[in-house]
Amino acid sequence: MASHGVPRVSGAPDKSHQAREKERKQIEQYKDLERNVVEKIKAKDFSNTTLQLTGALLKQNPEYYTIWNYRRMILDDVFQKELDANKDAAQAEEGDAAAAEKAGLTLAQQEIVLLIKEDLQFLLPLLKQFPKCYWIWNHRLWLLTTATKHVPSHITLELWKGELGLVSKMLSLDSRNFHGWNYRRTTIQYLEDLSGKSMVEPEFEYTTKMIQSNLSNFSAWHNRGQLIPRLLTERQAGADERKKLLDDEFELITRALYTDPYDQSLWFYHQYLMSALDSHNPRGPSILASVSNGDRLEYLDREIDSIRDMLDGAEDCKYIYQALLDYSTRYLEVDAGNKKITTTEMKDWLDELRKIDPLREGRWNDLAGKLKL
Amino acid sequence: MSLAAGPGRGGGASAAQLPDELQLVVDKHVAYIQSLDTRRDELEYHLTEHLRISGIYWGLTALHLLGQPEALPREGLLDFVFSCLHENGGFGAAPGHDPHMLYTCSSVQILAMTDGFSDLEKRLPNGKMKIAKYIASLQQPNGTFAGDVWGETDSRFLFCGFLALSLLGMLPNQRPNEPPIIDLTAATDHIKACQNFDGAFGVAPGAESHSGQVYTCIGALTLAGELDSYLGEEGKDRLGAWLSERQLPSGGLNGRPEKLVDVCYSWWVMTSMAMIDRVHWIDQKKLTSFILQCQDPDHGGLADRPGDMVDVFHTCFGIAGLSLLRYPGLVEVDPAYCMPKPLVDNFLGRK
Ligand SMILES: [Zn+2]
Repeated sequence: MASHGVPRVSGAPDKSHQAREKERKQIEQYKDLERNVVEKIKAKDFSNTTLQLTGALLKQNPEYYTIWNYRRMILDDVFQKELDANKDAAQAEEGDAAAAEKAGLTLAQQEIVLLIKEDLQFLLPLLKQFPKCYWIWNHRLWLLTTATKHVPSHITLELWKGELGLVSKMLSLDSRNFHGWNYRRTTIQYLEDLSGKSMVEPEFEYTTKMIQSNLSNFSAWHNRGQLIPRLLTERQAGADERKKLLDDEFELITRALYTDPYDQSLWFYHQYLMSALDSHNPRGPSILASVSNGDRLEYLDREIDSIRDMLDGAEDCKYIYQALLDYSTRYLEVDAGNKKITTTEMKDWLDELRKIDPLREGRWNDLAGKLKL
Repeated sequence: MSLAAGPGRGGGASAAQLPDELQLVVDKHVAYIQSLDTRRDELEYHLTEHLRISGIYWGLTALHLLGQPEALPREGLLDFVFSCLHENGGFGAAPGHDPHMLYTCSSVQILAMTDGFSDLEKRLPNGKMKIAKYIASLQQPNGTFAGDVWGETDSRFLFCGFLALSLLGMLPNQRPNEPPIIDLTAATDHIKACQNFDGAFGVAPGAESHSGQVYTCIGALTLAGELDSYLGEEGKDRLGAWLSERQLPSGGLNGRPEKLVDVCYSWWVMTSMAMIDRVHWIDQKKLTSFILQCQDPDHGGLADRPGDMVDVFHTCFGIAGLSLLRYPGLVEVDPAYCMPKPLVDNFLGRK
């Protein structure tokens, strides 16, 4: 697609005769292969040979979406033929029949599972080489959902478990790959549907592990936040347990912020927790059983104090001033007559922000207007 | 007639050698885009065939914004676009490639920019309705859109569907007296479900905020006429804050927290800010200078970052970004459509 992070090479664009000749040959081979695949598909030749040819082409060019479609057409055709054939066990090799029976499958299902496993295997090196290619993830998902359609759930469950292992490995290599995180959420959903068992607890644990290995991973913090409301519902948590969890999360993020107050990811998670108390934010999560103004003041009071303490040694950290201004504004909304927050202090914070963060001067000007500072 | 979408040939200068007072090398960018069709002797040209029609959209948009809409021959463009059209009303990326929402959207945008809808009717009677029906057929029960018959869903496809339907004049809010061909409410409900606490949007409900998705979701709400009523000033402030934090000291913008700056993300973030009236929340001068540094000053074209290989994708979004930043001499860009604004205005009968 578009190139990202490819250095511009300096020098003349002229290539040697040899290099040009080599490129000409590569183009010829590529076009020949492409022609071959297209002709076979046009002739409805959905054979194993054609499948192999699509594989060769996709290895050279995994972005060629039409060829992925062809591959699925071939597989669909093979699956259908297997299902239609309705082979009786007498015709099949004895070993095959026994293996299928042992696995609780018909012979057709056995074949389909084998083919799907083979194709999942084919995708592995491609996925490692092109972890950001939409079409590869997409094809993988198609294989899995197609298996779910044709094969009993105890087998698909095993396949999906394999996917969870794979995606964990991918995320350990690139912990921010958003294809990986989306695929993980999808995988979990299928696993839960197929097994009838919630995975919210182990998934929550997984985010803890990811955060412990790298605090600056907003994808993991994000997923953690998404899981909390469900986790509490499934634990049938009462008011106290809910409050305890929120307090524990605040403690976790506060400790992280003390380690590195310059980390944007951490502040976003802090904002996320605070949005659970914000009646103005329609997309804030529901964590506490109910939120009274008293609760709001309690949390705002505590967080403002704690963030104020962070300033010591981090006087040039813009996120601290942003948080102080944001949370103080909310405090004033709940309790306008308080003595905790003064206009002078808010003005000082805003002045600091303007100084430290001139890129966003327009935003600070608007904020000054809005807060009448 | 087709434009390669792959990386460009190398140029000589590195970013450090650029003069302080950066200038947009308009003629070189025009020549670069014109040269893309002559590169059939490069393997990359053939490996990027699956993007060909989008490549033309990117190149043509850049030329329009540079004030040189005639730099590519109209007849050649139309011939190519029609060679990608399928019986079912969808367009593939190149002749013989399967129809897909992404390329249907690019094709409709090219037809709009080349005033090609009457040519379409000549080649395919009732062509506009056929294209619209193809798009509508991809809407899913939960309101979102698939990219093609294989069923992958993504808010990008929803936005592309909206954009193309709008240029065809077929969005339900554009023809209140006709039976709607898509379920607009289900679609916008789906977008709203993709919004996160930070005001930004993810690829699906529950997914992390991502500025590419912010652009598609904000763009779709704009086309549906629901942006202001849904976000309100508070929602705009929240989203604007998240978007403005994408600007890094280099002046460039990134797509998510802790990611590298990039010309294409600079466009998606900034144009979203334009749709919610918050562009002034970032340093526009610094962003202008960052985009200009991404030019290849010798051979034309723009790259993702200074010193990198240029391509037509970043060339389009870099120039669109400069247009939004009111760089002198450029035609104004429409933030939602990423097309020349005067043309879109005229097309939709807006003043
Ligand atoms: Zn980019």
